[in-house]
Parts: sequence; structure tokens; C-alpha cells
Amino acid sequence: MDQNDLVVQMKGITKVYPNGIAANQGVNFSVRRGEIHALMGENGAGKSTLMKILFGLEQPTEGEIIVNGAKASFGSPTAAIAHGIGMVHQHFMLVPSLTVAENIVLGMVPKKSGMFIDFKKAIELTNEYAEKFNLAVNPVAKVADIPVGMKQKVEILKALIRGAKILILDEPTAVLTTQETAELFRELVHLKEQGYTIIFISHKLNEIKRITDRMTIMRGGKSMGVYETASITEQEISSLMVGRDVILAVQKDTAVPTDVVLRVCNLQYTNEWNKKMLDGVSFDVRKGEILGVAGVEGNGQRELVDMLFDLREPDSGTAAVNGKDVIHASQAKIRKLGVSLVPEDRMTYGIADAATIEENIISDRFNEKRFNNGPLFNMKAIHEESDRLIKDYTVLCKSRKQKVKMLSGGNIQKVVVAREFSSDPTLIIADQPTRGIDVGATEFIRKKLVDLSRAGTAVLLVSADLNEVMELSDSLIVLYGGKIAAYFEDTSQLDDVMMGEYMLGLKKQSAEEIGRVCHEG
Amino acid sequence: MKDKRMLGFELVRGAAAILLALAVGTIFIFLSSDEPFTALRYLLIGPLISIKGGLASFNTQGFYTILAAMIPTIFTGLAVCVMFSSNQFNLAGEGVVLTGGFVAALAGIYLHMNSGLHAVVCILIAAAVGGIIMLVPALLKVKLGASEMVTSLMLNYVCMYIVLHYLNFIFADRSKGSTQTFPFAETACIGSLVPGGSKLSWGFVAALVFVVIVALFMYRTRWGYAIRMIGINESFSKYSGMKVGGTIVLSQVIGGMLAGIGGSVEVLGRYSTFLWKELPGYGWTGVTIAILAKNNPLLVPLAAFFIAYLNKGCQLMATYCDVPSEMIDIIQAAIFLFFAAEQFLAGYRQKIVVKNTRADLAKAAAAEGGAE
Repeated sequence: MDQNDLVVQMKGITKVYPNGIAANQGVNFSVRRGEIHALMGENGAGKSTLMKILFGLEQPTEGEIIVNGAKASFGSPTAAIAHGIGMVHQHFMLVPSLTVAENIVLGMVPKKSGMFIDFKKAIELTNEYAEKFNLAVNPVAKVADIPVGMKQKVEILKALIRGAKILILDEPTAVLTTQETAELFRELVHLKEQGYTIIFISHKLNEIKRITDRMTIMRGGKSMGVYETASITEQEISSLMVGRDVILAVQKDTAVPTDVVLRVCNLQYTNEWNKKMLDGVSFDVRKGEILGVAGVEGNGQRELVDMLFDLREPDSGTAAVNGKDVIHASQAKIRKLGVSLVPEDRMTYGIADAATIEENIISDRFNEKRFNNGPLFNMKAIHEESDRLIKDYTVLCKSRKQKVKMLSGGNIQKVVVAREFSSDPTLIIADQPTRGIDVGATEFIRKKLVDLSRAGTAVLLVSADLNEVMELSDSLIVLYGGKIAAYFEDTSQLDDVMMGEYMLGLKKQSAEEIGRVCHEG
Repeated sequence: MKDKRMLGFELVRGAAAILLALAVGTIFIFLSSDEPFTALRYLLIGPLISIKGGLASFNTQGFYTILAAMIPTIFTGLAVCVMFSSNQFNLAGEGVVLTGGFVAALAGIYLHMNSGLHAVVCILIAAAVGGIIMLVPALLKVKLGASEMVTSLMLNYVCMYIVLHYLNFIFADRSKGSTQTFPFAETACIGSLVPGGSKLSWGFVAALVFVVIVALFMYRTRWGYAIRMIGINESFSKYSGMKVGGTIVLSQVIGGMLAGIGGSVEVLGRYSTFLWKELPGYGWTGVTIAILAKNNPLLVPLAAFFIAYLNKGCQLMATYCDVPSEMIDIIQAAIFLFFAAEQFLAGYRQKIVVKNTRADLAKAAAAEGGAE
């Protein structure tokens, strides 16, 4: 390939954050002039970090960047912009109280007689670019009043007007409706035809197939290679993204589900961008079974879990554990009902990073009598409990006094799991329990989950890892667009292809079939 | 191994911050003084070593004076430690010290009891009042989401003007030339620990006892644990089932009680009438001390000693040389800047982190290779 064709080259990029996480490890990345290049990977794969480095928001620990054939080093976004790189962030960086035109010229305001802002010129400039790139916006509208799709166009215009030839779009469709997405894609193709280069960060397979030329797939901070979009199947992409080729078979007996533990009825939820995230979700989880929730991320899984653990309020609907309402109960009360949660975002909810392993292990039980002698802690009992759990859950550490943030991701998750699994729960909600952790810890956690369910715990397993939900679950629901698209009572006969069709919304079961997930009694 | 490296880093960082701050102070001394070396001598060794006729000797009275100056600031330092531990930037310690001192003084004047009991009752009243005052920013924060920093800062002036009102118009001793109350009953005064004019009272012992009590509270009780966890990660604490709002209120009330005790012990131990007519400054010093001590109660006496020593040194410098006493503010501000600056020596820290992560990755790779 002609080297001159490569408009951006990043070689051997390594980035270690101050908390010790190596978000990029020796990543090579290159983009041809005039292509739409996808950067794919799961959350936490290091896509955003890599692009932040390219845009000058983060400095690489190691590696070099070559733009248009010349070595470059971006100490700030200003430097990157000067090299013709523009970035549209997932969360828009606009001033809501200013008009569209004012936002677009912010920082490069056209002046009248040297000191006054030339608003007319700003509007003209906006119209000129909007027309040229076919990005229709209303220059005099206040940004606060315009729809999300238009805000994104404003962001793109902002980058273009600053001379960007290379546009980085960070998950641009995450906040868009289907129609807005289609419109965005038309605009992007139009830009490409005019010779612009676009880097498109996403983890949605169908979108990528629709508009990109090539893609770089990342997993666990490393590049998994560069592929021509036309010559790779969605299955291959997904297996590269999530590493489904490593199948970890879990031994388990047939489930003998008994009484209903968790009953969810008709949950409805609309998020702050007026997008319906949950639309009439109803299901039961019974004692002794693992009910899996499969689906492409962003189809309501997070909202569902948040509601069951009082982290969000639904618009309507009910959820009860052993007949007791959990929608309006505090976390303390929910825990008293015997509910444990392995949270998706373990660094925010799962642990206090600056506290010790021991302090993290006792966070749900420090009030119990056995850990207190009158007003003082019974340190001996606490030490015994934490040493026992560190041993049982094989947490690799120097001692219980080690700070949790010093542990690896897998061991941090083991600390979370040690706490959540050891409180004798009646219901465990495991949300992405093995995301981003090493094989050993993954295997360990999966086995524990199966053991607990066979010992009579009800388990709700939410996972974007298709292999995981299919292997671990006894029965399974698929969420698509906030609705249950399918219910499989028995997971042993499922295959990926069929699952994929339900997950991507190509197929949907009848209401009657789905309704079977609500059991009698 | 790697934890040791990080601990070593924190120590180096602390020492570097203090040295750099003193260096900044030295620059200003050289700029403002005709006799900079004498001034530096007073600042650095003057508080403990007196030099007469070329002979250096340990200044015992000076040492006692420094310890005496630590009494109120240990209490306020502890108060701020407890309040900051729940991640609440509460600055009302200042107003509470003043009010606590004032109500203790009133109890010392107008209540009649045996010696021993009387002082304790005065202090307890001050603690109660301090706790109640701190309820204001705590409840405003927890119930209404009002920034505790703003409300607590403003509260200092509310406290000050209320105290001044009652002092000026109701409790002032009109027979005196300046505004002050009637003298406290003998029974309410806190006795001296050592002879001489150092004002080192039994309050110092009380302060050290409270250091131990607060350390136990923070590290050995369920309430202290909850306060610290909420301070580190509020979402985690809520998710774990802790009562976040109630615990935040508790930590602020305890901080208020400690600050109130500090004010009362200072007033009853140092003076015989109440004569503060402005905010005494111990609350602000408490903030500095808590930051120096990294919210660890056991380090509070050390930090308080450091600040008291520096204050004394600056006083001496201002008295005997031509350096203004405001120098202390410059040095304190410099220490503050270097300590509080997250990025200070961040490059060096990043190098350690990269090294540790590399070692971890290599180890993980070796383990994986071994397993296959």
C-alpha cells in the first residue's frame, strides 16, 4: 500500500493512566485518506483513549503519531485541530444558551471594526458551510431548543469550519433515533465523497457494516487487526470484539426451578433524552435458576438493573422480591430482602478504590452484630471474615490492608463478587460480571454463580457476552429496543445465529411465546 | 513492593512541599529584609532555641507556648478531619469555635457548680451548641442539595454577629474599658499544666485524649467507617446500603461538637473573661492542619505542632527583625498550594505507575504463558 495514502498513522501507542490502568498497549492504527474507518470494540477496549490521544486530549506514554506523513505530537486539541483533526464527542460540547451560529464560531469569532462581534457574518458563515456539506441547521436557533440530531450537525460543522479534514466521531449514533441515524449516515457518505476522512467509533455491528470501508477492532487495550468491511462477517467481527472463540465450558446440572423470587411487571422507562428505554418488560426469576438477559448493549439492560436496585425510578410498572416491592425501597431495604448486585460499573458502585480490601468486603455487613462489640468494631471478626473471603475467592493480594485500586481488574471484581455472593442472597443480579477481566477470574466467577444457583439462589444474569449468557443461563430473554424480543425456556438447543437475529431485531417472538416467562404462582 | 513505592512517593512529596514552601518564604525574606539571615534564624530555630551571647539553649517556656497554641488547633483540626472525611467541604469550624467559646464563657459566669464538674459542663454545652450549628449546613446539603461550602462559609459571619450582638448589648461588663464579659467563676477555669506564663493548660491533655478518641471513632467504629466510605465513594456507599444522608449529617455534627469543645477549652484555659471580638482564626488553621494530616486524626498533633512552630517563628521574626508577620500567610499559602496541587510531582508519580503496571502486565503474561 502507498504510504502517502495513510493520512493518520499511530504506531505502538501505549497509555497508562495515573490509576495504573493500561488502556492502550502497543496499539497500531492507521487510516487511509478519504475512507470511513470504524474503530470497534467493547466498552473499555481502549477506543476512546486512542482517539483522545489522536485529538491531543491525552498524552501517550509511548508511541508516535504521524499525520500526513510527518511526525506530530499533540499537546492539546488546539494542536490537533491545526493539523486538520476534529472530534465530535459523545456528549456534546456546546453552549446551550447561545445560538447555533454563535456556537459554531466560538473561539474564532468574525469581528467588525476590530472589536465587535459580527453576528451577521457568523450566520452567513454557518449557512455557507451548512449548504456546502449538506448539513441543514438553523443558525439563529438557541442550541438548548434544537433536537439532538441537529446538535450533532452543529458539532460536525464546528469541526469542519476549523479546517478539519479528519473527523473523529465518538459513538455518534448512541443518542440518535433511527431516522436521525439514517440522515447522519447520508451526510457522512457525502463528506467522504468530498474527500474527508472519517473515524467512526462504535460497537454496533449493523451500523458499521452499512457505512464503513475498513475497520480496526480493539479488545482489552490491544488492536485485534485491521479488516476490509466487505470481506468480514458480523460473526467474525463480534468474535474478534469479545473473544468468543475462547469458549469456557461450565459444568452444570439441570436446573430445578421452584418458587418465583423476582417478579417484574410491565416496566416502562423513558430516559432524559426522551428515548423509551424500557417498554413493558415483564418476567419472573425463580429459585434455583439462572435467567439470562441477552442483547446488544443499550437496549435497556442497564435501565432494567438500575430500577431493580433503586438507582432509577421507572415511569410505571412493578418489581417485587418474594412479594415485597423493590421499586420504591432503598438499597439498604433491598439488601435486607436478600438481593445482591454485581454492578456493571464496578469502579463507581462496586468498590471504594482508595479503601482497603477489607473495608470493601464489609461494606454491606459492617452493621451486623457479629462485627461489633458495643460501639467498637470487633476487629478480630472482621479480619477473619475478610481473610476467609480473600482465600475462598482467591483474591490475589499482599494482604487485606492493600488498597483495592492497586489490584488488577479481575481481582477487583473478585472482591466485589466475594462480598455480593457471600451475604447468603436469595437473588443475585449479576450485571456483566466478567467484563474486562482475565480468563482465570472469569471462569471462577462463572462457576461460583452456577454453584449458588444450584444451592437455591435465584440469579438474574445480564451480559453482553453472548457466549456467557448462553453457557450460564438456564433460560434466557433477549432485550431489543427496550422490549423482550424472545424468551427461551431451555438454552441448551440455542445457536448464535438465531440469537443474533433476535438481538439485532430481525426477528421477534409472539406475545404468547414471550409471555411464558411469567410463571404461575 | 509497589505499595511501598507509592508510600515512599507520598512522603517525598510531603517533604518536598514543605521544603519548597520554606524556600518560597526564604525568597520573600531576602526580598523584604535587610538582615535576612537573622530573620531566618528566628523563623527556623527561634521558637525552641534561644541564643544569648553566642550561647544556644533550649527555650522551655517557648516550647510550652507552642504546645499551648496547639490546643485549639488540634480540636479544630480533628473537627475538620471528621467533616472532610465524608467529602464535605465544611468551613464553619471558625464560627463554631467562637460561639462555643462564648457559650462556655457564659456557662462559666452564670452557672454555679463545684470545680471539676463546672468546666466539664461548660465544655459539654459548647459541644452541644457546636453540633447544633453544624446541623444547618448539613441539613441544607442533605435535604436541599445546597453547597455546604457556601452555607458553612456564610454561617461563620452569622455566628460572629450573633455572638457580638449578645456580647455588646447584653453580657458586657460595663465597668471595663474594653468589651468583655464578667470574669468566669474559678470553678469553670481549666488549670495550668506547668508553671509560668505559657498558658499551657490541662486542655492540652484533653486535646491529645481526643486525638485518640477521634482516631478510634474513625477507624474502629461502624460510624467512622461509614463516614470514610462515603467520603471515598458516595455511590458505592449508597449501593452498599449505607444511610448516606444521615451519616453525612452525623459527621458534620461531630465536627461541630469538636470545634465547639476546642473553642471552649481555649477560652476557659487561656483567659479569665470572654474577649474575642472577631473570628479567632482557629477554624481556618484547622483546615490547613486537616489537609496536612490527610484527614488522619493521629497526624493532627504533628501538623498542629508544625503550624504552631511556624507561627511562633514568624512572630519572633516580626518582633525582632524587619520582616512583617504576614510572612506566615505567604508560607502557609505556599505549603497549601504544593500540598493541594494534585499534579505536584505528577510526572514522577506517573513514572512509578507505569513501572508498576509494566511489572504487572509482564507477570500476567508470564502466568498466562505458564498456564498454556
